[in-house]
Amino acid sequence: MRDRVEDLALAGPGILLLALAFVLPIAEMLGLSILGTHRELTLEHFIRFLSDPYYLGIVWRTIYLSLLITAICAAIGFPLAYVMARIRPALRLWLIVLIILPLMTSVVVRTFGWMVLLGRGGLIPFTLWKLGFVGRNFTLMHTEAAIVIGMVQVLLPFTTLSILGVVMKIDRRLEEASRTMGAGFFATLRIVILPLAMPGILAGSLLAFTLSVSSFVTPSLLGGVRLPVVAASIYDAATKTLEWNFAAAQSVILLVGVLLALTPYIKLSGRRHG
Amino acid sequence: MFARVSQIAGVLAVAGALASPAAAKDKLVINSYGGAYEQIHRKLVIEPFMKKYDADVQVITAYSADALAQLRAQKAAPQFDVIHFSGGQEVVAAREGLISPIKIEELSNGKDLYPFATEGLSRGEGPVHAVAAIGLLYNKDKAPKKPAKWADLWDPAYKDHVVLTDLSNSYGLLGFLMMNKIKGGSIQNPDPGFEAVKGLLGSAVVVSTSPEMQQNFAQNDAWIAPYAQDYAYTLRKAGLPIEFVQGAEGTPAVYLTANLVANRPSQELAKKFIDFSLSSEVQAGWANELRYSPTNKATKLDDTVAKEVVYGEQAVSGLMRFDPVAVDAARASLVERWKKLIAR
Repeated sequence: MRDRVEDLALAGPGILLLALAFVLPIAEMLGLSILGTHRELTLEHFIRFLSDPYYLGIVWRTIYLSLLITAICAAIGFPLAYVMARIRPALRLWLIVLIILPLMTSVVVRTFGWMVLLGRGGLIPFTLWKLGFVGRNFTLMHTEAAIVIGMVQVLLPFTTLSILGVVMKIDRRLEEASRTMGAGFFATLRIVILPLAMPGILAGSLLAFTLSVSSFVTPSLLGGVRLPVVAASIYDAATKTLEWNFAAAQSVILLVGVLLALTPYIKLSGRRHG
Repeated sequence: MFARVSQIAGVLAVAGALASPAAAKDKLVINSYGGAYEQIHRKLVIEPFMKKYDADVQVITAYSADALAQLRAQKAAPQFDVIHFSGGQEVVAAREGLISPIKIEELSNGKDLYPFATEGLSRGEGPVHAVAAIGLLYNKDKAPKKPAKWADLWDPAYKDHVVLTDLSNSYGLLGFLMMNKIKGGSIQNPDPGFEAVKGLLGSAVVVSTSPEMQQNFAQNDAWIAPYAQDYAYTLRKAGLPIEFVQGAEGTPAVYLTANLVANRPSQELAKKFIDFSLSSEVQAGWANELRYSPTNKATKLDDTVAKEVVYGEQAVSGLMRFDPVAVDAARASLVERWKKLIAR
């Protein structure tokens, strides 16, 4: 009995905060999403979103950009995490600091940096132009490539650190055994390390994917109004055309989408730990 | 249930405000539009007002659409005293009871205002405290020639160097309605406008905010854009060779209003603030600093400034206004259709 009281006392503040700051707003959002103009129950907002090729196009862009961003993050993050796990602790600390450091600046500031680099006359287009790879001064802004570049930079730390945690725990003797048995460096990486690091890669990728589908600032600034993503569409509906119910319905669709993406992972990790 | 919770939250907020130390000065919460506008707003209106009335004014940066969204969200417990709109949102706000009507007698500057500035008072809207004329901005160093009319936007001479503004932006919406008008459309029939914009999209950049407009003129080799007279001056001050031209077909304008938020305890002080914004000194300041056209007949301007704003009885009578009620009714569908048109 006392245990339960103590447990409750310890968990209470957290549960209260969750209830006030998460469950309540989500419940209200769910409510808003099924209310019509005269407060009657309706599915019109969902139908409007899901039956319009324009909005489905936005969903498709959001999903494939997020998948691409996630794949690039994993492809860069895995080798980086492996190297970090295998170097001297002092050096590793510096690399971790280096990776975390960008997280200390606001994502808006970092995105503005990319705007300078990618715009017409910016470092990247200008260099390509001057080196003769492209015929004229151009801009990389307002392209899907710009969104991918900006988002990869924002999300790389999350992926790398998730993978690092898992790679650190891999027994080095497994690697040594593999090498003495005749596998080369890359074969060892592929046959031994990669499968063992999979939980980390999966967790990091899911983190990157969920953050990416719901991201708003970077896609809006780098992609511009002509390349809308779901989060930007929600923002537009809520603040520009003031269609709150429609915005809520879009949010519910995004939330369900993220939950669906999470389910296989929750199932997998649940099997592993218990 | 949630209404109840927000009511309680509102009561708590009010109780908190009342319980704060009695020595605190009277306080107003207002919105401003950020950037250079907000700096000048502080210098011309907010700070002199605080000094004159020994009051505190807290400024929250929010563009018109955001400000209206916030007012709506706070309906049970409003957090603003004076709300400024630039996109005709006062029509909606008045209709929904979010703002309180003001009588012209309550404003000491009321009698000096042009009729168009006080026209909305009878509908429960706030007075117009400044006007931003919409026309064509062009880069006088780079553009091959000076534009003269709205139809010049489609001139092949400017191809690949046109900047259009998203319809969620007040200036963008008016610019579009004007393009639509010269192509033979009306607010109820925007097809000609959309059709005409479609022809421009392949070689134009679309932006949604003023800073993006500046960035395009500064870095992205923009030559011509439908936008506001005051912003041309902002760009000139930033060192860009940008001039403003009134399109021969007409000059639509943004009417900036100051509105009294309903259900707030300090409405008397808020009315003084609105009145203060209407004085000829403040309005001359706006014209000098940012090239907003005055709505107060008694405003005195230098010749150079007078030439760069809409000034004097006759010039003012040439301004056009798209019916804000009709614009508001069409806004959501126009914005959605625009979004679908421009999305790649």
